[in-house]
Amino acid sequence: MSESLAVDVTGLTKSFGPSHALNGLDLSVATGSVAGFLGPNGSGKSTTIRILLGLLKADGGTATLLGGDPWRDAVELHKRLAYVPGDVTLWPNLTGGQAIDILSRLHGHVDRKRIDEYLQRFDLDPSKKSRSYSKGNRQKVALVAALASQAELLIFDEPTSGLDPLMEGVFTQCVLEAKAQGQSVLLSSHIFAEVEKLCDTVTIIRQGRTVEAGVLADLRHLQRATITVSLEGSPAALERLGGVHDITIDGARVTFSVDDSSMSDVLKTLAALGPRALVSEPPSLEELFLRHYGATANENEKVNA
Amino acid sequence: MTAATLARPMSSSSRDFAGWTTAAQFLFRRNWVRMLVWVLVLAGLIAIVIVSQRQTFPTQADRTAYAAIANTPAVAALTGLPYAAGSLGGILIIKIWMTDAVALAFAVTFLVTRNGRAEEENGRTELLRAGALGRHAYTFANWLLAAIFSIVVGLACAGAAIGEGLPAYGALVMGASFTGVGLAFVGVAALAGQLAQTSRGANGIGIIMIGVAYLVRAAGDLAAKHDVAGGISWVSPIGWGQAMRSFGENNWSPLLLLVGFGVVLCLLALRLESMRDLGAGLLPDRPGPRTASALTQTPIGLTLRLQRWSILGWAIGILVGGLFFGAVATAMSNILTGNSAAATAILGSSKDVVGGLLAYFTMADGLLVGAFVLQSVASVRSEEASGSVELQWSGAISRVRWALSRIVVPAVASLVVLIISGYAEGASYGAAISDPSQAGRFTAIAIAYWPTMLLVIGVVVFLAGWLPRWSLTVSWVLYGLVVLVSMFGELLKLPKSFANDTPFTAIENATTKASFDSLPLIVLAVIAIVLAVLGLLRLRSRDYVAS
Repeated sequence: MSESLAVDVTGLTKSFGPSHALNGLDLSVATGSVAGFLGPNGSGKSTTIRILLGLLKADGGTATLLGGDPWRDAVELHKRLAYVPGDVTLWPNLTGGQAIDILSRLHGHVDRKRIDEYLQRFDLDPSKKSRSYSKGNRQKVALVAALASQAELLIFDEPTSGLDPLMEGVFTQCVLEAKAQGQSVLLSSHIFAEVEKLCDTVTIIRQGRTVEAGVLADLRHLQRATITVSLEGSPAALERLGGVHDITIDGARVTFSVDDSSMSDVLKTLAALGPRALVSEPPSLEELFLRHYGATANENEKVNA
Repeated sequence: MTAATLARPMSSSSRDFAGWTTAAQFLFRRNWVRMLVWVLVLAGLIAIVIVSQRQTFPTQADRTAYAAIANTPAVAALTGLPYAAGSLGGILIIKIWMTDAVALAFAVTFLVTRNGRAEEENGRTELLRAGALGRHAYTFANWLLAAIFSIVVGLACAGAAIGEGLPAYGALVMGASFTGVGLAFVGVAALAGQLAQTSRGANGIGIIMIGVAYLVRAAGDLAAKHDVAGGISWVSPIGWGQAMRSFGENNWSPLLLLVGFGVVLCLLALRLESMRDLGAGLLPDRPGPRTASALTQTPIGLTLRLQRWSILGWAIGILVGGLFFGAVATAMSNILTGNSAAATAILGSSKDVVGGLLAYFTMADGLLVGAFVLQSVASVRSEEASGSVELQWSGAISRVRWALSRIVVPAVASLVVLIISGYAEGASYGAAISDPSQAGRFTAIAIAYWPTMLLVIGVVVFLAGWLPRWSLTVSWVLYGLVVLVSMFGELLKLPKSFANDTPFTAIENATTKASFDSLPLIVLAVIAIVLAVLGLLRLRSRDYVAS
């Protein structure tokens, strides 16, 4: 296995009794890069991450983590990674500071200076009992321990789901710094803006299978732009054009999406129809995501099947 | 606080209780199975004991003979003063009243905490109260359910006694005395749920209060004149229940005390609930240390840190138990050596009786330590179920090493606690008979129970490995069965070969024989280690299983 990949997963399968959580999932994280991991609830993101952490054993496929086997070499590998779960459970009667020290020690050593620095940046009071922390504060505890560890690989499972926008910003900054230091990051998230800002590559999964993966810029390129235009003439000619989808007409205002490959034909047709105001929006990750998970995707799948 | 002051002027008291019927239905659905099991066990014990005592004392002559010797310090201290030992009903009270009453007190404590403080702690109450539920509706429904449960237990026990042919009036008074004790401890648990911030804390307060009530009435019963308990018994709710003297004078008036006590404590708890915020106790959380000590950072140090109050509480409880048992044995030996040749003739020589009694007490202490060990080693599974292992297991520690840190602590702590219990019992008895060597002797006997504690650990670890989701329920049910068989095997007329071979009674027998037999100890230790190793192997190779 190549050391240029911090995480390399191919054809991963995992069942819990009769239900198939993973059906041949592929995922890779290049060393020193930030990889986004997206999918709706229950699509298998946390299962994949738990397999990478050696908490669950894969039924089939291969998974390599920092050049090792996540199940067999768990203890050795865990010295080189840090993990923040989506739902952080701490010891209710210990303080946040104590929990951070215990977690740091479990991954190697306690770096007091870095811990203090991150405590300050995340504005966390370490002298409070964990039981009195909100969800966001519990996440901060795990984040401080993970970021202070300087591990080679950081695995985040929806790490900002309880944080306020200010703290989300701090998190974004911390991840960019980690990347600049050469750390690799696997980031599972539902926040598109966060993924767009941070991630070099994106993997989108659905029902335990990878449906889209690659460099973010390339993925967008494959998709459609949304055009909103006010026309003097009738939009009927547009409907006959190939590569135009989802037309809605509201008086003189027309909104539709268009394949990048058909853009030139569409613009020629539009020019003849007397356009007054035209707005073109590039495809966002959110649209890409919804396209894979929306009702239309379901129908497409049925037709293809 | 602000919410309370805002809501107060406009909210009538009925609004505070809005929706309590919905809450009560919901609570009933969540708890009916466990309540039914308690009712069947408690009423079943009544029926079984009547049948077994009818066989033991078939004629009135047998019962009259028993009445002449029934009133010993051991019986008075442990199960209450015999006051009607010449009748089957009176014998029933001697044999099982205290067990049922104390068990019911435990049952309502756990029930009230489970649906009260524990729900609040894990945040479910917040969800429910955000719906159209009044401030007190959920707590009120919880207490009401526990109160109705106490009434049903009382009726079922009375019914079992009537069904077995005991006088109906006495049986009703007995049932009412159980109900009364249950109601009194509903009040205690309700108050504990307001004072403590955690379910552990609430259960802890409840258990301490049950222990205090039991010991206070034991002191009263030891200070009895003939068959009338000393005045101090009137400080204890359990003493009030005894004072109803079912199948004797059938005195209803203490029931008023019991019910009144429960109601007053519940009203007090309601006041406290209006004064505090949801999720908070009455005492605010103090800030703690900002960093973990070097010890707490190690897995074993963390286990100790998490369990230190629990270990200390158990050690103190078992120390008190040991002193109490020693004192009872002393009182017993006093009457046997002091005067009557008649007593010796009937009960046997002092050495045999007191020796047997002490061995029985050591076993009872062993069962207590067993509960401590089970509760401590349960963290092997409970930390996985709660999800806190997710962060620990993704650290650089193997699951086996992690589990060993959760095993070593109860293994060593149980040895220490056993030594404390044996020493306390032996020293308090030895001081009374001016024989200092007793402390050492009973310490050695207590240590003989250590392999049994290892077996408890082995069973829990085995189950945590192979049956993670069910392991804790199965462990506690097994423990409950072992307690029943060990403590009441003879009373329930179980086959001797069965009753004498539980991991606890086997040790009791090994220590009472003339020559000490170490075979059972070795067998237990080997089984314990094999089970633990099998459990650890499975834990290492299976998936992480959250609750």
